[in-house]
Amino acid sequence: MAVDPAERLLNLIIALTHARVRMTRAQIRSSVAGYAPPTPGRSEDEARREDAAFERMFERDKDELRRIGIPLKTVVDPTHGDEIGYKIEASDAAMPSIEFSPAEMAVLALAREYWQGATLGPDAQQGLTKVASTAAAAPRSPLGLGARATSLSDATAVIAEARARRQAVEFDYTSESTGHATRTVEPWHLLIRGGAEYLVGFDRDKQAPRTYRLRRVHGDVRAIGPADSYEIPDPVPSQGSSPPPVKTARVGVRPEAGHVLREQGTAVGTEGDWDLLDVSYRYADYIRDAVLSLGGRARVLAPTDIADRVVEYAQSAREAALASLGESSDG
Amino acid sequence: MAEKTPARVTRLLGIVTYLEHHDEATVAQLAAHFDVSESQIRKDVTTLWMSGAPGYLHDDLIDFDADAFDRDIIRLTDSQGVSQVRLSPREAVALIGALTTVAASGIAPDAVSTALDKLVAAVGDGEAVRSVSLGAPDPEIVGTLRAAIAAGVVVDLAYVDANDNLTERTIEPHRLVVIDGITYVECWCRRAQDYRTLRIDRIRTATQGADAVATKPDTSGGFSLVPQFEAVITAARPARWLLDTFPGVSVDDDGTTVTARFGVADARVIAAQLLTIGPHVHTIAPPQLAHEVAAQAHAVLDAQA
Repeated sequence: MAVDPAERLLNLIIALTHARVRMTRAQIRSSVAGYAPPTPGRSEDEARREDAAFERMFERDKDELRRIGIPLKTVVDPTHGDEIGYKIEASDAAMPSIEFSPAEMAVLALAREYWQGATLGPDAQQGLTKVASTAAAAPRSPLGLGARATSLSDATAVIAEARARRQAVEFDYTSESTGHATRTVEPWHLLIRGGAEYLVGFDRDKQAPRTYRLRRVHGDVRAIGPADSYEIPDPVPSQGSSPPPVKTARVGVRPEAGHVLREQGTAVGTEGDWDLLDVSYRYADYIRDAVLSLGGRARVLAPTDIADRVVEYAQSAREAALASLGESSDG
Repeated sequence: MAEKTPARVTRLLGIVTYLEHHDEATVAQLAAHFDVSESQIRKDVTTLWMSGAPGYLHDDLIDFDADAFDRDIIRLTDSQGVSQVRLSPREAVALIGALTTVAASGIAPDAVSTALDKLVAAVGDGEAVRSVSLGAPDPEIVGTLRAAIAAGVVVDLAYVDANDNLTERTIEPHRLVVIDGITYVECWCRRAQDYRTLRIDRIRTATQGADAVATKPDTSGGFSLVPQFEAVITAARPARWLLDTFPGVSVDDDGTTVTARFGVADARVIAAQLLTIGPHVHTIAPPQLAHEVAAQAHAVLDAQA
């Protein structure tokens, strides 16, 4: 009967932790319980099959060690040719003992709900198991508090791993200003804003810091090139966060409408059926979208470029709607 | 689904470390602590018991007190030097990322920031993920809601709904929740006689009432608006970011054009959002939704004229 994979992995962890210098693949195969040593007197065909099966199994086990967070050191011993050996340094791997209070353990458990259904879901669960190992209290979601995100990116996991190894990532990306392109980026950190995830890093092609919205990444993010290929500046330059200056727009809202704009703006009188507000903004899109989504119960008076955008957006939406209904927009 | 090997091995190491900190534990205690069944704990201990260092003689194996085990008490006698391993980069991002979003929301209890500090210090490289605040809701309103949840009583609200109407309602608050960085109160709305997830920043006033909360929290999760029909929107790719935000949406993307299908609970709300991607929209179905978009676009043009 095949050995339970968890038992084999545990045996591998113990063997590589106990190894004085290192263990080669051949030593692992012949001495760690769970791997099948070469059958004596095997034919060439059998040898190929067996060797390939061992390699597959060992590669998968190495991946799983990494998923568990165990750093596997490769050790080359010049007296034994070029063959690579492996070793786990127990001191590098150990989970520090952290004293979390029951209230802290409860809020940590929010991670389970937050990443539910996402690539990092199992990692959140595993992280909580680790935290629980050294804590007196168990992670239980707090009553009365929750956290969710509705569209998490699968890229987050790959970027987290690449960043930890200081390895660049490559991905296809669409931006509204520059269109579609393949980017090569040295990840500095991930940023979560409004449930959307961003990558902040150094773009090798542009030779400048950039921020990427992960939802605009198409296909997979791939880690490329060697590890330890860059350093993260300390402190990370606060690029992009020299935000545009605050400007003021004047908008009109119908009485009993535009409560959100009212909250953010200052009332400056009335004009006909419109209550006038001065609203501060940094990004013109914000005013444009806020007014459009009030469906005619708000209008932009100034600046005119935002008013023009509102008209342009409404016109093209109207055309698309009428075309879908088989009507002409001239009527 | 069968448990993945890394998750199981992480728990196996966790059991060893927990027992080293606590001398012994009952099967029931371990099951409660690691949130698995008692039979799973017995299987885990059995697996640990058979594992060890090459040689696999008695002294090479992880060992437990056999007499105690028969009495459902787990006492570790030899760990073979294994113990729980530090957080992986992915685990650190998962835990720290979730906590920073709650911390940035403005409704976090103190335990969030103290837990974050400890976690970041322990990881050593806790700078992998940060969260940016979208602005905090009125702390007084948050305080009223939190107190009412703790006391199990209703709250009277003045609330601006998604259609921009100012409404008066009495809610039975169950939970504060951060969704995509925005703060909500999950509640039973007595006026609607249904579960609601209300944005805290749209609450104008909140007054704690005397009536006790009579409903249980909604366990279905997610928003409880009932879709009235399915919409299909085709649009140029730059519009995808908005379409992706509609609840329950499925998006096909051929590289140029995206096709989004989603349930519409309130055509007025969806039409208003579609205006904000106007230049990218190709087609809108069904006619009911296209009519609403055309009418609202018309109203915007009139207002702007």
